[in-house]
Amino acid sequence: MSKMRDLQEKPELVFEELIPGKPFRPLVYPLTEEKIHQYMETVGDRHPLYVDLQEAKRRGLDSCLAPPGLAAVYARLSYLQDHCMPSGGILLRQEFQFHSPARVGEVLEVRAKVEEAFVDGRGRKRVTFLIEAHRRGGEPVSTIRLYAIWPK
Amino acid sequence: MGTAPGDSLPMITKEIDQERILKWAELSGDFNSLHVDPQYAKKTPFKGTIAHGPMSLAFLNELMMQWAGERWPAGGRLLDVRFRAPIRPGERIRVTGTVKGRLRVEGKTWVECELFIEKPDGVRAVEGRARVPEEE
Repeated sequence: MSKMRDLQEKPELVFEELIPGKPFRPLVYPLTEEKIHQYMETVGDRHPLYVDLQEAKRRGLDSCLAPPGLAAVYARLSYLQDHCMPSGGILLRQEFQFHSPARVGEVLEVRAKVEEAFVDGRGRKRVTFLIEAHRRGGEPVSTIRLYAIWPK
Repeated sequence: MGTAPGDSLPMITKEIDQERILKWAELSGDFNSLHVDPQYAKKTPFKGTIAHGPMSLAFLNELMMQWAGERWPAGGRLLDVRFRAPIRPGERIRVTGTVKGRLRVEGKTWVECELFIEKPDGVRAVEGRARVPEEE
């Protein structure tokens, strides 16, 4: 649980610091075989295209694909590299657009920024993050929007 | 894959337990006590730990990979996914959906599906839509 201790030592991401347009430092996210296996084991998603190169080639692909659901992991990490979430926040909704399949062995660069931060008519602190993942070379892989309510 | 309106998507079932929640915490770095500390979580309005919301997104992506294969990460859209109710350890959830129809957006024809994750009591914990570009 040393990982837990590390996270608790990070400062909380405070609503007042979430200025629209504010970027977070880019997250470098390598799609290693180890990470793919950890994801598959955790989720129970055993799609053959993630691990079976012969099956990938049979379908006209040149390598195995990274599970697209990993976007749910790197999206959150991209704005929490240097902070932890305050307790009591709510993830309201999320959207993903996939542009091209990420492949096992690639390294993604994930950039997050605050798209919106406002207090709504019911006094709730609303935040929207825009997260974009590219492979090295600049080709887009995914665009994610995450809508949250910050704790009071 | 059937793409006529009303066609069912595959159904995936998942057993949610505290071990899986801890594994997700390790994978995602999200060690919020509401997810990983049963003693703490008991004292919250949730009265116990709950699964991380993004884990549900992983399940929806698994469903779409099963249904659409490599076309999903090549251009799929997961839209307006809303978290309606918490998913708790001990629950067996169903992840599935239905084809709603075709629509023309961004100069492409898409198959649109309604997706949901259902709890044992029939409550939809997560709802959303997916679009897959139709093969040219």
